[in-house]
Amino acid sequence: MNNDMINRRQFIQLIAALSASWPLAGLAGEQILGRSHDEIYQNLSDPWLTLAEVQEHLFPADASSPGAKDISALRFLSNMLDAPDTDAEEREFIFKGVGWLNDLAKTTHQKTFIQLSTDKKESILRKIESSNAGSRWLSLMMSYLIEALLSDPVYGGNRNRKGWEWLEHIPGYPTPSPQNVYFRLNGSFNENTRRRTKA
Amino acid sequence: MSPLDAKDYDVCVVGSGAGAGPVISELAKAGKSVLVLEKGPWLTEKDFFKDEMACCRRSTYTPSLNDEQHVLEEETRDGGWVSEPTSESGWDFWNGNVVGGASNFMSGFFYRLKPKYFRLLSEFGPIKDANVVDWPISYDDMEPYFTKAETEVGISGKVVKHKFQEPRSTQDFPYPPTAEHPVVKRIDKACDELQLQSLPTPRAILSKPEGQRNSCEYSGYCGSYGCSSGAKGSSRAALLDSAVSTGHCEIRPHSKVFKLKSNAQGKVVEALYYDKQGKVQSVTANIFVVACHAIETSRLLLASSGPKHPNGLGNNYAQLGKNLLFSAGGSGTGEFHYKQMDKLSATAMKTRGPFVNRGLQEWYYFNDKSFGGEAKGGVIDFLLRHPNPISKAMSTRWNDNDTLNWGHDLKRDLKAVFTESQDLRFEVFNDWLPTDNCFVSLDNSVKDKWGSAVAKVRLGYHEHDLKVGEFLAAKAEMVLKQMGATNIRSSVSGSPPANLVAGGCRFGNDIKTSVLDADCKVHDVENLYVTDGSFMPTGGSVPYTWTIYANAFRVADIIKQRV
Repeated sequence: MNNDMINRRQFIQLIAALSASWPLAGLAGEQILGRSHDEIYQNLSDPWLTLAEVQEHLFPADASSPGAKDISALRFLSNMLDAPDTDAEEREFIFKGVGWLNDLAKTTHQKTFIQLSTDKKESILRKIESSNAGSRWLSLMMSYLIEALLSDPVYGGNRNRKGWEWLEHIPGYPTPSPQNVYFRLNGSFNENTRRRTKA
Repeated sequence: MSPLDAKDYDVCVVGSGAGAGPVISELAKAGKSVLVLEKGPWLTEKDFFKDEMACCRRSTYTPSLNDEQHVLEEETRDGGWVSEPTSESGWDFWNGNVVGGASNFMSGFFYRLKPKYFRLLSEFGPIKDANVVDWPISYDDMEPYFTKAETEVGISGKVVKHKFQEPRSTQDFPYPPTAEHPVVKRIDKACDELQLQSLPTPRAILSKPEGQRNSCEYSGYCGSYGCSSGAKGSSRAALLDSAVSTGHCEIRPHSKVFKLKSNAQGKVVEALYYDKQGKVQSVTANIFVVACHAIETSRLLLASSGPKHPNGLGNNYAQLGKNLLFSAGGSGTGEFHYKQMDKLSATAMKTRGPFVNRGLQEWYYFNDKSFGGEAKGGVIDFLLRHPNPISKAMSTRWNDNDTLNWGHDLKRDLKAVFTESQDLRFEVFNDWLPTDNCFVSLDNSVKDKWGSAVAKVRLGYHEHDLKVGEFLAAKAEMVLKQMGATNIRSSVSGSPPANLVAGGCRFGNDIKTSVLDADCKVHDVENLYVTDGSFMPTGGSVPYTWTIYANAFRVADIIKQRV
């Protein structure tokens, strides 16, 4: 179609202009908040061990797409729970949820959550979901997971831009470095102005 | 003037957004000493990144709702009103508390008002239970300032003749339109087929560099994001930076004004504010200008009682905070699935960066039996779905039965939402009729972190607004259908958009029915002006930032004559 030919020419010109103004990827030497991926995931102990397992269940890897560990979702969660604006209550709530989950796993199956089969993990999590607090806990875990998948890699998730790549997402430029992540921009954040994550 | 009368500044401006910028820059350029007190931090181009966490997932540019909030009152089914603090509901009513205000984060869809709009009551007659009025000024009074904003703020666009085209004193826009997305061709074609005239939407975005400001870089992330090139016509990039460089303007960020002190004559003598450390500071000036967002402006004046103004500055006739306005209307979406297109069209459709810039004004005024003849309509703007990936992904988090979606099902849904289709959206803008059920008052039981009463906002709307909104949404859906979109849907409701607020200090000729006079000076306060969107007695059926800029340029000229 004639229209599409015009569109195509304009499109190619535009892409050329964009590539000239911004490098398309800056993977090499990309700086990231907090500890390295390997440091985060090695020698895990609770609550992080269970949190990592829950994340992997909620967001499993398969042949063509990354899972929670591939995107370093635990590193993201750890960075965000350490962020100066994260409500102390929220951090406690995430950790407490691990306790409830393992208590329930032990009463029902005499095992900890991570020792359960995938099916049993699913049924335990669905059971947790049926209570208000459990549903809130899982919904918060999901929010952090989705943020980990698609936020700028500087926050510790979206490792090597795997989330963006998988969903064919085109990021915008410029992107932040660790010196100017959101909680370092404002200049008025302090330990007293904590808030809850927008769900 | 004796040394005893000497004031710290000629003019003290509270706020620094679209309503403040023109006053600040015009007076500073005229050599007047100007102090700007802005509650938020002073961020610049180098602080803005395409970072969804910063713009949209955390309160980076707005206060924590535990520190500062609103109380919102909504109507219950039995006609009562129930109020809820936003720290509990999470319904954030802040827009952008930084130097330059919310104009840093706007999308910059810019529309002039039309001549008839200034005579809304005379032209279209009264509507039951709506406080519709004529404006105390005419389009001709505003035209020079709409034009001035085009060059000073930097508005790009193209003048096209159409039946509702406003008269202009210049031939065309000072900047050509920004680059357009390939979907524009499809919109134009569909409109042609329907014998509708699709019009290029002017944008407050530079399509070529100007002074210290770069041209748009077409990142594809504009609305909600601070602009890192300086192309977006925020008050800060377009006006404040050059005002500061005159040497006559001082901007004090982290300065939260909580009271304007007035004397026995009712004149404002001092602005009291909290500095970054929370200490009370004060400043004197000959003239005070308040422009800190419609709701907060009313709140500040209500909190500023004085000997001649026991119920708040300019509230001797109980008009202050009344007739608050939002933008009525709603939005809609249609999907374009790549697998139903050839490869080139799909690639074009996936383009990220250039703007859609198309709208319809066919029904700005219209004649329809169900409206009893001639009626006031509004405008429709087309846009792509916002590219923010986290917010897009969040929509897949819940199943229809209110259980959480996770695991392989979630991943399948994510893949589909992101890679199988492009959403074209539309937004409808029509009048939010002023009524007795939409106003600002003070809530004495909920305080901000400094201990001041927060604003309580009653959010009533007029049923007529929905009727007009639905009329327009149906027209927009027709265009999407003609374009071949699938799963077309729209939503029109009385839920107010928190980013489009005006009114509360309407201007007029009668002190008994308005807060400000035609010059936007508080009727019975000789040295206090209000220059944000608060002055608007009716909201227009377009996004009103251009009107706010233009009116502030108009008032700046008036103040210039006085100091």
